[in-house]
Amino acid sequence: MGSAAVPDIWKIEFASFFADFLPNTPPQISPVEDQERYLHEALGKVKAQAFHMKRALDKNKLMDALKDASLMLVELRTSLLSPKSYYELYMAITNELRHLELYLVDEFEKGRKVQDLYELVQYAGNIVPRLYLLITVGLVYIKTNTSLRRDLLKDLVEMCRGVQHPLRGLFLRNYLLQCTRNILPDAPDIDTDSPEGTVKDSVDFVLMNFAEMNKLWVRMQHQGHSRERQHREREREELRILVGTNLVRLSQLESVTLEKYQKLVLPGILEQVVSCRDAIAQEYLMECIIQVFPDEFHIQTLNPFLKSCAELDQGVNVKNIVISLMERLAAFSQRADNLDSEGGNILKEVELFEVFSEQVSSIIANRQYLPPEDMVALQVALINLALKCYPDRIDYIDKVMLSSVEMFQRLGLEHLEYHSSVAKELQKLLKIPLDTYNDILVVLKLKHYAGLMQHLDYNGRKSLSIYILNNALENEIIIPSPDETEQALTLLNTLVAEKSENPVGEIDMEELAEEQCLLARFVHQLQSNVPDEQYTILTMAKKILVTGGPLRTKYTLPPLIFQAYQLAYKYKNLREEKWDKKCTKIFQFCHQTITALVKAELAELPLRLFLQGALAIDQIGFDNHETVAYEFMSQAFSLYEDEISDSKAQLAAITLIVGTLEQISCFSEENSDPLRTQCALAASKLLKKPDQCRGVATCSHLFWSGKSLASNKEETHDAKRVIECLKKGLRIAKQCMDVSVQVQLFVELLNHYIYFFEKGNEEVTVEILNQVIKKIKEEKPNLESSDETEQITKHFNNTLEHIRARLESPDEGLIYKGIEI
Amino acid sequence: MSFFGFGQSAEIDIYLDGQETRKTAEVKTEDGKKERFLLYYDGETISGKVNVSLKKPGSKLEHQGIKVEFIGQIELYYDRGNHYEFSSVVKELARPGEMIAHTSYPFEFSNVEKPFEVYTGGNVRLRYFLRVTIARRLADIVKELDVAVHTLCSYPEMNNSIKMEVGIEDCLHIEFEYNKSKYHLKDVIVGKIYFLLVRIKIKHMEIAIIKRETTGSGPNTFTDNVTIAKYEIMDGAPVRGESIPIRVFLAGYDLTPTMRDINKKFSVRYFLNLVLMDTEDRRYFKQQEITLWRKGDVLRKPNLHSTIMAGTQSLENTANAYKEENTGENNQNVDQEEENDEQVNKPLIKEDFTRSQSTDKLNNEVADPFSQDV
Repeated sequence: MGSAAVPDIWKIEFASFFADFLPNTPPQISPVEDQERYLHEALGKVKAQAFHMKRALDKNKLMDALKDASLMLVELRTSLLSPKSYYELYMAITNELRHLELYLVDEFEKGRKVQDLYELVQYAGNIVPRLYLLITVGLVYIKTNTSLRRDLLKDLVEMCRGVQHPLRGLFLRNYLLQCTRNILPDAPDIDTDSPEGTVKDSVDFVLMNFAEMNKLWVRMQHQGHSRERQHREREREELRILVGTNLVRLSQLESVTLEKYQKLVLPGILEQVVSCRDAIAQEYLMECIIQVFPDEFHIQTLNPFLKSCAELDQGVNVKNIVISLMERLAAFSQRADNLDSEGGNILKEVELFEVFSEQVSSIIANRQYLPPEDMVALQVALINLALKCYPDRIDYIDKVMLSSVEMFQRLGLEHLEYHSSVAKELQKLLKIPLDTYNDILVVLKLKHYAGLMQHLDYNGRKSLSIYILNNALENEIIIPSPDETEQALTLLNTLVAEKSENPVGEIDMEELAEEQCLLARFVHQLQSNVPDEQYTILTMAKKILVTGGPLRTKYTLPPLIFQAYQLAYKYKNLREEKWDKKCTKIFQFCHQTITALVKAELAELPLRLFLQGALAIDQIGFDNHETVAYEFMSQAFSLYEDEISDSKAQLAAITLIVGTLEQISCFSEENSDPLRTQCALAASKLLKKPDQCRGVATCSHLFWSGKSLASNKEETHDAKRVIECLKKGLRIAKQCMDVSVQVQLFVELLNHYIYFFEKGNEEVTVEILNQVIKKIKEEKPNLESSDETEQITKHFNNTLEHIRARLESPDEGLIYKGIEI
Repeated sequence: MSFFGFGQSAEIDIYLDGQETRKTAEVKTEDGKKERFLLYYDGETISGKVNVSLKKPGSKLEHQGIKVEFIGQIELYYDRGNHYEFSSVVKELARPGEMIAHTSYPFEFSNVEKPFEVYTGGNVRLRYFLRVTIARRLADIVKELDVAVHTLCSYPEMNNSIKMEVGIEDCLHIEFEYNKSKYHLKDVIVGKIYFLLVRIKIKHMEIAIIKRETTGSGPNTFTDNVTIAKYEIMDGAPVRGESIPIRVFLAGYDLTPTMRDINKKFSVRYFLNLVLMDTEDRRYFKQQEITLWRKGDVLRKPNLHSTIMAGTQSLENTANAYKEENTGENNQNVDQEEENDEQVNKPLIKEDFTRSQSTDKLNNEVADPFSQDV
């Protein structure tokens, strides 16, 4: 048969075929409820026409088939359908067009070429059907004769400009893209004049198609009523994949080398993206670029890409784009590290961090309207990148922090409100190094960390401080030097110092207690192996912690003092030169510190600390320790006298003092006597009779088991004074009005008596014991029955039981001879 | 001889030389049907034989003479009585006498002038025919035979592009370009429309080919406009800066060459009408006359590439021309001083669109105020 030209008569026939349905004026998109009906109708027509077309093809009636195809394609002129429905229609129709295409390819390959087909289909009077046919036929020509490829591709992409309706245009161009996907020239452009085309022609083709599709897509935004904006944006979202496919196609071209990508592809895409000035498009397309092209390309084109980011519309979430790229490259760098491939080398060549850092700051500088939280988020991403790619480069993190500080200064942002999103981002940023390194010491090495933290408001700083503290505690980080101690405590300023910028509202005491406990725990981690240094640490810490005011020092100074005591013990063990003097110094320091607590109008706590100190001093026994211990004791006493007024507290305090004094052995008679007498005196001066009684009873032990230099650090065993005390106790007890209290005191005293009796105090005799027991027995029946009474009875019975046990034991039975139970 | 002397006692048959091999052309008849006639060109010799056969062999036919005429004539439909013969040549075939047997008379009109092309329009017809007349005392025996005539032209020496900026102030400004002003009947119109300003919502754009036939003169002038073709070139609303390609193949349409003032009786002219329609069905249009001419059929070697790519190359040229803007026409005109009745579109001509506030269907051409332009 050979090649045959289309007869002119066909052209006339085909041209006149369209005269009838040209003036179809498409109305607006129909309401949702009608969509289904319209789609259904259209699909019905498509099915019918497709059937006719295929039958005509079977009979080799090409002209009829073309007419049927046109009738089918006319359905795509509709404006009644939503993008979704239109897509369905499009799929149905293009599916059927495949039959036509396959038929033609088949015929052509059999040598039955129809020459003027490309011209013939252009007689179609309606542009939409015409272009679909043109693309289909063009594809057949290209497939059967590659020498036409370059020119046909150019022609097709150019002719498609005729469809300016966004939805129809997008689908038409998508059809073009789909049809040409396997035939795009992909040869390196050595021979630029080849009619088959080279990869450059493909790039030009796709870029042009991309630009046009993007324009159409963007245009959708500006059509229709403004109140339907959301609806329209949703529709655009549905269509974006059509535009993105262009980029996918570009990425699939194998001859697109890095060089081509740099010089041709990327600039082309970016130019379009930047110039379209549409937020939705820009955001999506930038994301697309990141996703579809390989990381190796991105790394080499960071600068142009990021520069474009800075030029995007103000509605674009640049942050997300940049962050997405950073994350991808960070992942890539980690992969490359593992493989140790050439990717790693590229990473070394391209200063990934430097580039990003520079571009991010230029983005921040150029985009004034970028919300501050996004700026911070960018910095966060930058830090993440630095940590992932360069885990050992702390200076990078510091650099980011510096630029963040500068950024805040430029923006004039101070005291970011706690719950604002900027503050949240900033918190996130500040937590990253902690979470990564889990080491507060690393954070302390960051020069700008504290400065950056200052931009948070008080609450923000506080919550971050707590976070830091918890981190340090959990990881048990030891702070080994005075400098670091200072830095750490300065960093935690909000917890350490009294609020200066006083926000309204009461201080939540519970919360405060919780925070300060953390801080107190932290104080224990201020430890150096070198004692001298440890001392400096402590003085440094004290200097800072003291600024916290009474509410805080209450919690924070005690651990410091205990640390100091421990340090003294350490010196004692080391016994190095001048250790005496050092110890004196330490106790001076403790003295000062406790005095600071006293000044904070605390009494019980310093009293206990003094006592504890006295104990420590006694045990360490450095030069001159007696004086110091005496000073501590006397301080405790004066606190007792001046500051403690509550009777219960007084009793507790005196008990403690007595207990301490009983332990201490370093006093000479000249010191110990006044102290003991003072104790007895103080006890007898207590307000309540029962307290007096108990106090005096307790004091009795001082004269028995208390030690001093006079007794050669042995127990004193001053029997007479013991019995005096106990007698005084009995006397006081008798004065009590409440019988049950009286009995209780008697029982307690009886126990004291028994104790001394068993210890061998000769002043305590069986007679005295009998008297007391008798007295108790007399009074007991008068007691009203109550829980208290029961307790007292039990105590008494137990006591008697004890004596009985002793009586029965063969060795000690003797001394209890004559006891009356 | 018939009893009453009526009726045809003889039949005339005109045989033209080479009629088996000669090309034919389709010509519309007055009632719109199409017939095929033998095709002649200007100056071609028409020769052949006239065969007269008697109905009844043996009888004789008395006649006042036999002649053959070649006539070119214009018929105006509103003036049925008068036909204007612009060309008439007569050849005497036989002197008055009697005819006894079938007779064959050869004839030849050598190099006869055929200045116009055959045409059938709305109000006028131009035809060529041969007429054999056997003159009789009562009723002549006549036989006519139509032939088709095409006038061929060579490539026009001047063929500027048509380039123009049109607009409605602050509303719509476009610049359009057709690559030529003279097209042959199988030509391709290639062009581009560039939108400089768009403040109306355009729905679509089309190009219509309009044939305007004017007949008569003075007060008796009749104009007949026919839209030969409508061709959608854009769907949807463009924005500023868009350029839309135009490519219209002419071979598919029923066109004749442009005819100007044929024998002072009629003219047939062609216009390209660029029509933009907005969403409220308002139409904006601009007409440009193009000259159509008939190119001789050159036997071209079928070249696949050139066939397929018809028009695409020049399309790019126009695109480039837009970039260069003022570098002038592509074809260099050496004969600048030559008088030319065509517009020379050197500087862009700025004109207004014609607007029509018609909500009528596009088909209703009467609504278009084409005549305003005249």
